[in-house]
Amino acid sequence: MELTDADLVARVLVDDDQHAFGELVRRHQSSVRGLLRQLTRTDLALADDLAQETFLRAYKNIRSFRGEARFSTWLYRIAYNSFRENARRRKEFVGIDEEHLQAEHDPQVADPGLRHDLMHALSLLPLHERSAVLLCCQNGLSHDEAARVLDIPLGTVKTNVLRGREKLKRTLAAWGPN
Amino acid sequence: MDNISEEDQLDRRLRDAAPYIDDDGFTARVLQQLPAPRHARRSLRGAILLGVTLLASVLAYVISDGGRFLVVAVARLTTLPAFWLLALAFCSGILVMAGGLVAAVSKTRELQS
Repeated sequence: MELTDADLVARVLVDDDQHAFGELVRRHQSSVRGLLRQLTRTDLALADDLAQETFLRAYKNIRSFRGEARFSTWLYRIAYNSFRENARRRKEFVGIDEEHLQAEHDPQVADPGLRHDLMHALSLLPLHERSAVLLCCQNGLSHDEAARVLDIPLGTVKTNVLRGREKLKRTLAAWGPN
Repeated sequence: MDNISEEDQLDRRLRDAAPYIDDDGFTARVLQQLPAPRHARRSLRGAILLGVTLLASVLAYVISDGGRFLVVAVARLTTLPAFWLLALAFCSGILVMAGGLVAAVSKTRELQS
């Protein structure tokens, strides 16, 4: 029988079982790295550095995980905070999205590595809408969970998801049928 | 209704578009950077405690003239009536059990928080 995340967390807490923590990393690495790749606009090296930082922080602070939320939600919160702190350090956080939005409409600037139109359209969204859409629509978090991860009011999350979805639909429609 | 199904469709497409990222050594790199397990630190602490206890016992034995106070205390105990001996054993048992319970409850609270 496969152990649940809660079982593995308990093993880390009680026995400091690093194998159990390794299993948690294996289970969640794809979604955490995927989220960070989208947040960093597919800067793979930075996304992986932040993902490593996320898991190290999770290990060091695992006693603060109260089990009220899912383990993945808790990890997303740490990942988002790591991303935000890094962006602040790089002075890229405040007010940059709109500039990037304009720049990335230019096909010369757009990342050629993006294989899917949808993911490309997603990367064009401003950060606050992109993060809300990523968490709620792609990773299946409820609005309430996303509000906790992003540390913003529930109503703001709903608005950001709604606007993000609308922009995605419009962008995809403008690019033609898929 | 159409709007809802359209949203569902978009969500589904978003989920499908997100590729599974292969581990590719990522977990190993994270595990390499973890600090040393606590039980390694705990066993060192245990060894230090044991060493200090042994040293203190030897000192007490030497200072108390070969542990004479123990001989005297045991001799006194043998003169006690059986009822008092039983009561003493009972009280000691309760005291040890209470200590164990307090430790277990505090550990449980710590884990729950």
